[in-house]
Amino acid sequence: MGNCLKINSSDDISLLRGDSVSIHGHQDQLPHEQLQQVFYPAPSVSIMPIPASSTTNSHMSEEDQIKIAKRIGLMQHLPIGTYDGTTKKARECVICMIEFCRDEAVRYLPCMHIYHVHCIDDWLMRSLTCPSCLEPVDAALLTSYETT
Amino acid sequence: MSELQSSLLLKKQLAELNKNPVEGFSAGLIDENDIFRWEVLIIGPPDTLYEGGFFKAHLHFPKEYPLRPPRMKFVTEIWHPNIEKNGDVCISILHEPGDDKWGYEKASERWLPVHTVETILISVISMLADPNDESPANVDAAKEWRESYTDFKRKVARCVRKSQEECS
Repeated sequence: MGNCLKINSSDDISLLRGDSVSIHGHQDQLPHEQLQQVFYPAPSVSIMPIPASSTTNSHMSEEDQIKIAKRIGLMQHLPIGTYDGTTKKARECVICMIEFCRDEAVRYLPCMHIYHVHCIDDWLMRSLTCPSCLEPVDAALLTSYETT
Repeated sequence: MSELQSSLLLKKQLAELNKNPVEGFSAGLIDENDIFRWEVLIIGPPDTLYEGGFFKAHLHFPKEYPLRPPRMKFVTEIWHPNIEKNGDVCISILHEPGDDKWGYEKASERWLPVHTVETILISVISMLADPNDESPANVDAAKEWRESYTDFKRKVARCVRKSQEECS
C-alpha cells in the first residue's frame, strides 16, 4: 500500500462494473437494504481544477477533466446520512473541528468515519484517503461491493 | 472550505494553544490582524544537538487550509539535513496531497487535513532529533551528518549559540 492515488487502479471505476451496480445512474438496482436511510446525491464540489495539480495553464486537459468526472462518480457511491446525535465516537468533524449538529448531513466513508459533506468532498477531490484512518477510499469501496 | 472557515479553525487553534501551551514550542501571530501567518519559537529538544537553542520559524497557511498544508520556514539560522539553507522546512507531512507522480511517498506520510499547528510542530521537533537522510533538503548538511559528524556537531553548536544571542 502506499499512494492515495495509484495511477493504474485508483480512478479506474470500470472495476466497479460487472457488479449489480453501474456507476452511470442505475442506482435503482442497488440492493434494497442499502437504500434505507441513505441517499446518493452528487458531491458538493463543482468541477474545478485542484490547486495542487493545476499547472501554469488555466485550461484543464481532457485527461484531467475525465479524472475529475470519474472521481465525482466514485464519490457518489459514498452514502450520506444525517447525524443523529447518538454516535458516541464522533462528535465533531475532524476536518473543520466543528461539532456536528443534530440532523446535519454527514458523509460516511467505507471505514465508517463521518465528516461534514462539504468538508470531506473537498478533501476527496484532492486525495482519496480517509483523513482519520488513512484507508484508501477507492479500494475500500471496491471491497465493499465484492462482499455484498 | 471557505476562507472564513479556515480562519475560524486557525483562531480556534491559537486560542487553544494560548490556553493550554504545549511543551517544546510557543506560538503566536506575526501580525495580529493576519491569522494566516504565524510565528513560532521552537525550543531545541533536550538530549539532541539542538538542546539549548531557541529557533524562530514562520508558518504561512493557504486560504484553503486545512485542505492544503502551510509552508514553514526557519527565520533563525539552523543547520539540519531536512531544512534548506534558506530555512525552508522539507518534511513529507507538509507536502501537497494528491497525485504522487514519483510514487515514493505514502499518503499517510503526506499532508492530511487533520494536521494542526501542534501536530506539525511535534513532527518538526521530532525531525530535529532524528533527521531523515533519505530525502535531504540541505545536501551538505546531510553529507556532513553521515560522513563527518564532528563537523556537523560544530556547525549545529554554532547555530545554537547564535540563536541564544539573538533571543537575549
